[in-house]
Amino acid sequence: MIRDNKFFIENPYGRWVRDNLFSSSSSAFLTFFAGFMVIYSYRGIVGFILNPERMWTSVTYNMKLYMILAYPDEAMIRVWLSVGLALLLGGLSIGFYNSGKTISLGGIFQKLFTISAVIALLIALAPTNTNVIQNDGSIEVVEIIPQDVRMLILGPSLVLTLAFFFLKNIKIKSLFNTAKVNLTYCGLIIASLYFIKIPTISLDSSGERIIPDPFLPIASTTYIPWTILYVGMLIFFFIGSLLKNRDIKIMARLIPIGWFLCPLFIFSWIFKKPLVELNTVFSADIPSILVFGIIGFLIIRFSDNQSLGAYRTPINIGFLVLSVVVFLLPVVFIFKATMVLLLLLLVVSPAIATTKEGKRQLFIVWVVSLFVLTFLIRGASSDTMLVTPTGSIFGGFSLTWLLAIFGTYASFPLGLALALGRTSTLPVIRIICTGIIEIVRSVPYITWLFFASVMLTVFLPSGVEFNLIIRVLILTAFFSGAYFAEYIRGGLQSIPKGQYEAANAIGMNPFQRIFLVIVPQALRAIIPTLVGSVITSFKDSSLVAIIGLFDILRIGTSVIPAQSQPVAFIGRNLEQLVFLSFFFWVFTFVFSRRSMKFEKRLGLGER
Amino acid sequence: MLGKVLKNFDIRTFWRDVRFLKWAGQVLFLVLFAYSLVLFVQTGINNLQSTNIPFSFDFLGDPPGVSIAEGFETLPDSGLRMLHVGMFNMIRIMIGGIIVATIFGTLLGIARLSSNWIVEKAATALLEVVRNVPLLVQILFFQAFLLAFPRLEERDRGEITFHVSSKGIAYPWPERQESAFMFFGFLLLTIYLARRVFKWRVSLLEKEGRDTNPFLWSFLTFLVLTFGNWVGGYKLMGIIGLISGYISIVFDSIPSIAYQVLFSVIAVFFAFRYIRKQIRNTDTGEIRGILSDDDYFRIILSGVVAVFVVLFMFMPLGQNLTYFLEGDELFYKSNWGIPQFFDGVAKKFDFNISGPPVIMSYPEIIQAGTTKFTRYSPDLGKVTTVGYFATWFGVTLYTAIFISEVVRSGIMAISKGQSEAGLSLGLRRRSLLRLIILPQAFRVMLPPMGNQYLNLAKNTSLGVAVAYPEVVAVGQTLYNQEGQTLPVFLVWMIFYCSISLSISSIINYYNRKMKIVER
Amino acid sequence: MSIIKTVDVKKWFGDFQALKGISMEVSEGEVLVICGPSGSGKSTFIRCINRLEQHQEGEIVVDGIELTNDLKNIEAIRSEVGMVFQSFNLFPHLTVMQNITLAPIWVRKKSRSESEEKAMELLERVGIPEQAQKFPGQLSGGQQQRVAIARALAMEPKIMLFDEPTSALDPEMIKEVLDAMKELAESGMTMIVVTHEMGFAKEVADRVMLFDDGLMVEENTPKEFFDNPKNERTKLFLSQIL
Ligand SMILES: Nc1ncnc2c1ncn2[C@@H]1O[C@H](COP(=O)(O)OP(=O)(O)OP(=O)(O)O)[C@@H](O)[C@H]1O
Ligand SMILES: [Mg+2]
Repeated sequence: MIRDNKFFIENPYGRWVRDNLFSSSSSAFLTFFAGFMVIYSYRGIVGFILNPERMWTSVTYNMKLYMILAYPDEAMIRVWLSVGLALLLGGLSIGFYNSGKTISLGGIFQKLFTISAVIALLIALAPTNTNVIQNDGSIEVVEIIPQDVRMLILGPSLVLTLAFFFLKNIKIKSLFNTAKVNLTYCGLIIASLYFIKIPTISLDSSGERIIPDPFLPIASTTYIPWTILYVGMLIFFFIGSLLKNRDIKIMARLIPIGWFLCPLFIFSWIFKKPLVELNTVFSADIPSILVFGIIGFLIIRFSDNQSLGAYRTPINIGFLVLSVVVFLLPVVFIFKATMVLLLLLLVVSPAIATTKEGKRQLFIVWVVSLFVLTFLIRGASSDTMLVTPTGSIFGGFSLTWLLAIFGTYASFPLGLALALGRTSTLPVIRIICTGIIEIVRSVPYITWLFFASVMLTVFLPSGVEFNLIIRVLILTAFFSGAYFAEYIRGGLQSIPKGQYEAANAIGMNPFQRIFLVIVPQALRAIIPTLVGSVITSFKDSSLVAIIGLFDILRIGTSVIPAQSQPVAFIGRNLEQLVFLSFFFWVFTFVFSRRSMKFEKRLGLGER
Repeated sequence: MLGKVLKNFDIRTFWRDVRFLKWAGQVLFLVLFAYSLVLFVQTGINNLQSTNIPFSFDFLGDPPGVSIAEGFETLPDSGLRMLHVGMFNMIRIMIGGIIVATIFGTLLGIARLSSNWIVEKAATALLEVVRNVPLLVQILFFQAFLLAFPRLEERDRGEITFHVSSKGIAYPWPERQESAFMFFGFLLLTIYLARRVFKWRVSLLEKEGRDTNPFLWSFLTFLVLTFGNWVGGYKLMGIIGLISGYISIVFDSIPSIAYQVLFSVIAVFFAFRYIRKQIRNTDTGEIRGILSDDDYFRIILSGVVAVFVVLFMFMPLGQNLTYFLEGDELFYKSNWGIPQFFDGVAKKFDFNISGPPVIMSYPEIIQAGTTKFTRYSPDLGKVTTVGYFATWFGVTLYTAIFISEVVRSGIMAISKGQSEAGLSLGLRRRSLLRLIILPQAFRVMLPPMGNQYLNLAKNTSLGVAVAYPEVVAVGQTLYNQEGQTLPVFLVWMIFYCSISLSISSIINYYNRKMKIVER
Repeated sequence: MSIIKTVDVKKWFGDFQALKGISMEVSEGEVLVICGPSGSGKSTFIRCINRLEQHQEGEIVVDGIELTNDLKNIEAIRSEVGMVFQSFNLFPHLTVMQNITLAPIWVRKKSRSESEEKAMELLERVGIPEQAQKFPGQLSGGQQQRVAIARALAMEPKIMLFDEPTSALDPEMIKEVLDAMKELAESGMTMIVVTHEMGFAKEVADRVMLFDDGLMVEENTPKEFFDNPKNERTKLFLSQIL
């Protein structure tokens, strides 16, 4: 039979087919059955998407709405700055953490071969016709891929497939850095913004009538900013590589801190309108930064001093008392915050500022954090742009993103606290924490969201009012905090008892034991789970659409299907949902793949 | 003892004493926690009093003034009844979802381990698609997909077999006849007997060491008995009806308060015994005298269950307790009670009933009342509404995907060494699977499987987004009517907590059972 | 002058009495070896000395400080007593250097540079200065145990407790650990060592004790202990082990 055929034994491809598709008669049956199912569903999906009933312009036309809802045009630069910040930081980190892995030209061609072969296969299998259900219930057959179009795509992709097939076997010595190759792919994507065209609708000068302009480049209005940002990213990539070559150690600490602070910055840029009055900047901010900078310098300079070391405890207590006093006094919040920061500096500087290098680095960190603090507090205390008199302008993907990130930010410390409480040896604390975790977890997220939207206000003292977004964030923090707590508890329980004993034996107090020995190990053990739960909270954030926040899902399911101006998209739900599925899918898929790679690398360095 | 404590007591250093520090910390924590809780609740009560809708549960007894789109009762006469419909709708999806998701998920998990390339890749692709799209988006997509079908028009009227429209999916369904209860009663008996036969043959196999065909025997038993059942064997079950009739008469003759008290006492007795057993168990266990959190939960759970049984006994039976407490009708009217229950059973299991247990019923598209709208007949065939389908399908598919991961990692966790050891003992493949791989894989899979069931139960609440009237949606309708947000929230909380507790205690029960087997 | 003194120490685990009244003294600079059959309470006893276990009756006085529930006393005693475990218990997420400097920096509040210098010194003393930047998981068992010794020494303890430091090691690694301990003993450190290495006891110990069933059944000089034991139980034990 087939299995005895020479081809299936000697040829490597033949052998692969025999082993993986026809290893037994039942396997052969499965192959045909599953193959049929796959092809059938693929043709169904293509037919569904290319069906003339679908109106994809309803998606492309509303792209901006999807991303930022009605964010004012004159403030768009903030959005670009935020995206830019993230991209530049990304470029910097790619450059700095570049593992130096390389890929050969053959490897690249191998990939290209796979891609073009898959494209050719997909085109070949695509259906020619699809069924359209008419209003009277009858079914009409409509042609969606004309034969000439199919040939037009199939021909070149087949040629390319063949070309790559031969190219990939050529032994070429030259190797390419994977990071650079990936950046080049990014560049290709940016370039495609100029070339790939999609059906769009544009308005005439009066802004009312539509000129059906069938095809325009994907990002006709945004490719210039994207290009600029891409170039910036490249520049930062090279800066990162340079820093890596110079072996600047402090960057290894600054970049994660940068990533941690980045959302906060973006938050204050996009969602706030920082009130930068030169007056206050010169009369308050600059002097306070100067004064605290000098104090910090002195602390760093002399903290190493042995004779001073004896007095460290009284000095610490003195500063603690002082900052409590300052907290009670009616002074500007910045001072209060800086006092606390100063105390922190006092505590850490003896450990870090022991060498000249260490002193310099600590001083830089100190000054930078002074600036950051001032900026953040100024941003937070000025007007909000979350709500305008005409209702919420804030929404779309940026809201989804905000909820996911800040949900994680807020829930992490809460989850850690609850987990420590639940594993505590003190029964009262343990029982209370267990109760909170179990109750919060056994009720679905959507009920907590309803609680946030209609019930939380009842429990707030009169006069205190939170925006719905803030209320949702509070409840989200609790909800995912309870989940985090369970994951972290798993990590904590995996720490052997000997670690506690060793920490005790070298004289650590309970706090040092927990935060220097136990928690770092526990967190390391559960990084994969934590990443998974961040993805989950990203997906869960779509639930806020039900309680009326204008996140990306609600725009797709209730704003766009109700649009009648300038083009009627009424009832166009399906297109939106297909697009949204694809959109979410890309994000979560890419994120989970990346994090898997990241975990692998993380696992290498340690232990 | 006390003297020693006093001897060691030193006023200057007692605040550094570790024991003092521990308890002081806990007391401080408790006080802070209780204080903030009190503050929170107090503010809530104050705020509610200043609005004109003070906190009350009255709406549970009042007629809700709205109808429900689907459920066992579409025009409930009280708020509580309405919530019950919602709860029932939720449980309906949950049970259907758990069963289908388990089967489909297991198949998918096995497909992912298949050596057939195309099967493995297809399963993985499905997994990656479903797993990375938010469930809500999927549910909304299924809804929109169904809604995009043509509407029901006048010309569609008439009898049909299978029909999809924007109103839902209509298909034939076996309709229960009078004799169905007796038939299924007998079927249960049949299954039990087939199991006994299987066990008996297996024990024979072990004793005599020859192949006794246990599968064949039990299957034949099942076939024969079911055939007998179909041709009229179910009439045997009439005996149950006879007995129930007598029980009903007996209960009718004693005052209701008597057996209310009796059953309550029995419930409390069992709860007490259970709690005592738990405490004893932990007392002789490894960690002596220390109750783990799980133990606390089991103890509290059994207490709560006992209280519920007591309340349940007293609640619907003429509302004795509630009349006594409230002075008015708090819960919905009902004449449900023990005698009535047995009376009902006696009517269902009657020697005189005959005829087939089920008859195929075909759906029909009819005119809705006197209006010119067209709809599916509610009494014929089976109609799955859009909301139900979207929620059920979405939740089930999503859970099945995660279950497939559980199954896959469960099977992979059983090391190759295990199967090699089994094979080297000369076991055949099927016995290897049944005796070595599956028992171990099942033990590994059980806890994460339970988690998936819990997630499924919670995810059914997304039905609210597609207007499927499950408990959250119904609650929302209710508080939009009455303004009583907090009581509704409390009902949700109690409902979901008890669902979660039930699922996790079932899983825990099996988990414990497996562990004991392991040792 | 005795630096450790225990009087009638008793300890229960639930209903089970693990220590049934142990009284002993250790003077400064002395090396004491404790041996005995498994489950006899050796570990429990030395873990009571630095409060990893809490004794219920009796008195333990270390360097003039009585071990009570007073937090200050517990902290004082722990910073004077170093301990080395059977299973090393190094912190796997920290480098060798960080493992050693953790306690000096955070507990003794010393500067980092000073503690790192000291740590290098200690690593040289136990013979593995080149491993400073590695993680514990990258070291062999013997190296790990020597790092654990260095970590305990970094707190500059007056007393060192060893709980079967070599029983998790391969024979060829045992020697390097015992050498480090020998060197430590010669430098005048007060040591209590629970071990089954009778060669070490003969060579280094100033005194040897035998525990059995929660009681101390024999206390003697090494020579007497091995050549001329007073107690029947000791004879039996030695006949089994040698
Ligand atoms: N945490 C505990 N809970 C209950 N019993 C314990 C505990 N720790 C020790 N024991 C018991 O106390 C007794 C003494 O234990 P210990 O560990 O001191 O013995 P050991 O002499 O060190 O033995 P080995 O040579 O095996 O290490 C043993 O019977 C042990 O079972
Ligand atoms: Mg021991």
